Amino acid sequence: MLVAISAVLISLIPLGYLFIRVGTSGFQRFLEIVLTPRTTELVINSLLLALAVSLSAMVIGTIQAWIAVRSNIPGRKVFAVLAALPLAIPSYVAAYSWVAVIPGFSGFFAAWILLTVGTAPLVYLAVSAALARFDSSTEEVASSLGAGKFAVLAKVTWPNIRGAAVSGGLLSALYVLSDFGAVSIVRYDTFTRAIYNAYRASFDRNLAASLALVLVAVTVLVLVVESRSRGKLAVGTVIANRLNRIDLRGWKWPLVALLVGFATVGLLIPLASLTRWSITGIPVTDWDQVLTALYNSVILAVSGGMLTALFAVGIAVVVVRFRSRFASILERSVWLTHATPGIVVALSLTFFSNQIAPWIYQSFAIVLIAYLALFLPNALSAISTPLRQSPIALDEVAASLGLTKLQTLRKVVLPIAGPGIFAATTLVILTVLKELPATLLLRPTGVDTLATRLWTETGVAAFSTAAPYALLLVVLAGIPAWLLNRAIRKDLEPIGDLERG
Amino acid sequence: MQKSRTKLVPIALALGVALTLGACASATPVGTSGDSITIYSGRNETLISELLDTFTRETGIKTEVRYGDSAELAAQILEEGANIRADVYFGQDAGALGALALAGVTKTLPSDITDLVATEFKSTTSQWVGVSGRSRMIVVDPAKVNVLPTSYKDLMDPSWKGRIGIAPNNASFQAFVTAIRVLEGEQAAIDFLTAMKQNAVLFEKNSIILQAVEDGVVDAGLINHYYWFELAAQVGTENMKSEIAWFEDGDIGNLINVAGVAVVSDNPNAMVFAKWLLGDTAQQYFVERTREYSLTGVPEVQGLKPLRDIKAPKMDLSDLESLAETLELIRRAGLL
Repeated sequence: MLVAISAVLISLIPLGYLFIRVGTSGFQRFLEIVLTPRTTELVINSLLLALAVSLSAMVIGTIQAWIAVRSNIPGRKVFAVLAALPLAIPSYVAAYSWVAVIPGFSGFFAAWILLTVGTAPLVYLAVSAALARFDSSTEEVASSLGAGKFAVLAKVTWPNIRGAAVSGGLLSALYVLSDFGAVSIVRYDTFTRAIYNAYRASFDRNLAASLALVLVAVTVLVLVVESRSRGKLAVGTVIANRLNRIDLRGWKWPLVALLVGFATVGLLIPLASLTRWSITGIPVTDWDQVLTALYNSVILAVSGGMLTALFAVGIAVVVVRFRSRFASILERSVWLTHATPGIVVALSLTFFSNQIAPWIYQSFAIVLIAYLALFLPNALSAISTPLRQSPIALDEVAASLGLTKLQTLRKVVLPIAGPGIFAATTLVILTVLKELPATLLLRPTGVDTLATRLWTETGVAAFSTAAPYALLLVVLAGIPAWLLNRAIRKDLEPIGDLERG
Repeated sequence: MQKSRTKLVPIALALGVALTLGACASATPVGTSGDSITIYSGRNETLISELLDTFTRETGIKTEVRYGDSAELAAQILEEGANIRADVYFGQDAGALGALALAGVTKTLPSDITDLVATEFKSTTSQWVGVSGRSRMIVVDPAKVNVLPTSYKDLMDPSWKGRIGIAPNNASFQAFVTAIRVLEGEQAAIDFLTAMKQNAVLFEKNSIILQAVEDGVVDAGLINHYYWFELAAQVGTENMKSEIAWFEDGDIGNLINVAGVAVVSDNPNAMVFAKWLLGDTAQQYFVERTREYSLTGVPEVQGLKPLRDIKAPKMDLSDLESLAETLELIRRAGLL
């Protein structure tokens, strides 16, 4: 419980900071900033993009997951890996490479494509996990009762994966709201871009804070929509032990073409650009610097991932096991600041740590706290679902056998949630590897990661000297992306041969 | 009201932090002591790290450098409140320096530093000083541009449609538009931007515009001078297809902006550093390595028009901090 509360407090630091900033400049000024056509325009732009991206990410991610888990198309294992990998490419790297391939690539559609490609894997992973746990005998029951294939899909399969798809869509939408890299490079005006510009152009922290506070309000709106459309969560379902594959017949090749298309758009374009740049960049690379950056990236990402997962477990246990109103408020509040841009989180930690614990400022510890504040929801979403699926009945059995609550937790709940914890850790590791703004501001002086080196190298001139860092970053982040995918499919492969028509 | 809220949150936070990070906090207080200074640098590491090594060699003063975006580092200094960790702020442009001065965190520089630099390249109240200069200019493909434009306004002519590259996201382009706004009025800036919406091809940054001119994608581009010399150093001057040119005397297209420093602590070594940057070693470095202009009279790199011959517009660089309005105009013109 204490773990949960302190985690929530940490994730609310940015919000506290925003209130203090807005308080300093006065409510009057806040209203002046907020009640302008410009704010309305930004809200519409941001919401439109978040909506479009999360919908398309949900469609694409779900199709990919369904094909990879449930169909019999050739090469589905390869496609499964390919579907997860775009997650390893930072949005600013993807944006740069697209702009290099298509000059003049800009505006709403550019941002839409880039962010859809970048966030569809979040949906893909969530839905794959749900499908892998799904017991397909319910489908057979439905077909035996005369339901057509599409009816089965719509009425039996979809309700079971809807929760996963929508929560993946939520992550996607909030990612869009907080993204700066992609939208700035393709010049689409969102809230986060305006917030960065408030710092960069008018050097006005209070203006930035007012905008960020509105962004939190937008986040609340998104959260409400999400919880309405998530549907009832399947609580206490027994983990599946039967799963069949569906023969796609005539649909097989069109779908293969579709998957090849996704992979080309999501991976081939960025990787081709990176390789092209690397050819000129690698000969002049300082490998000592690369290795140091690599080492720092790995240390920060792994410790950030483990710490965040640990706190997420704390919250998830409280929420799932001690179901109470307070617990669910606790969980939802973590999400409030999830769309807050990294720069705001970094400045809020600068402010608070200098007020109360100056010794922690610009140390590894504060960087880890920043990661916790930024990525707790990612970890939480990966952990909660499997934890929910460990049946309450098992707890009762354990209790009747004389186990205390804590023992039950250790012996019954955690083993079931193990894969979820692994997924959460891996997901945060992956995300931390790509994180830039908070790392840049809060890192100990002189400590470089792959992401900060990449930033340094792109700051001067051509992309070529930066390419080795980008390439290494993508390859490194590819490892957790691949592991995530493998963990989800582990339950799956032994029964993979059960193909039917 | 304000007070009590400010107090409560930190206490709650302290609890959380103490509980969770008891052991793993490897505190590294940066508090600069002895012969060392902490520099927050908005200038890129690859451009100046060598210069800082030379500084340490010559003066025995060690440097701790934090690199970041100019504006973000300025915001960070302000958020550090009473515990400013930086001794020196080294910024990319006059705007960010002006913002720090306005917030009152900068120390007044003594006249033995400020006297080294002409009035137009420093703060009017001695809160910051420019250390190197960069000029706006036009880069052209001589095969496609027969008559050089004499003013930036020539580019508004329909004959330039699709031929001129600009980078509206870039701070130096924004400073240039700010100069138009301040010197010739808002309407002039709006007219120029509207014409650019018609004529210009948009790029992400200066270096990419230059490459586009080299590749024949556009006929000309508005950039800072040193990009051309940097590329020339990489590929050889004889292999450059493009040429650089300045507009007529006093044209805003020739705006000169500076990178500069402000001192933000009482560490005496910070002043030593500020002064050293205006000494011959550093000025020579800016001329040769970053291909900027010396502000103390060290001669320009070969092929670069001397600073005193560029008739730049008369502009108080402190005015460049009013960027917000400029950004609004650029956005309304549909260029951002």
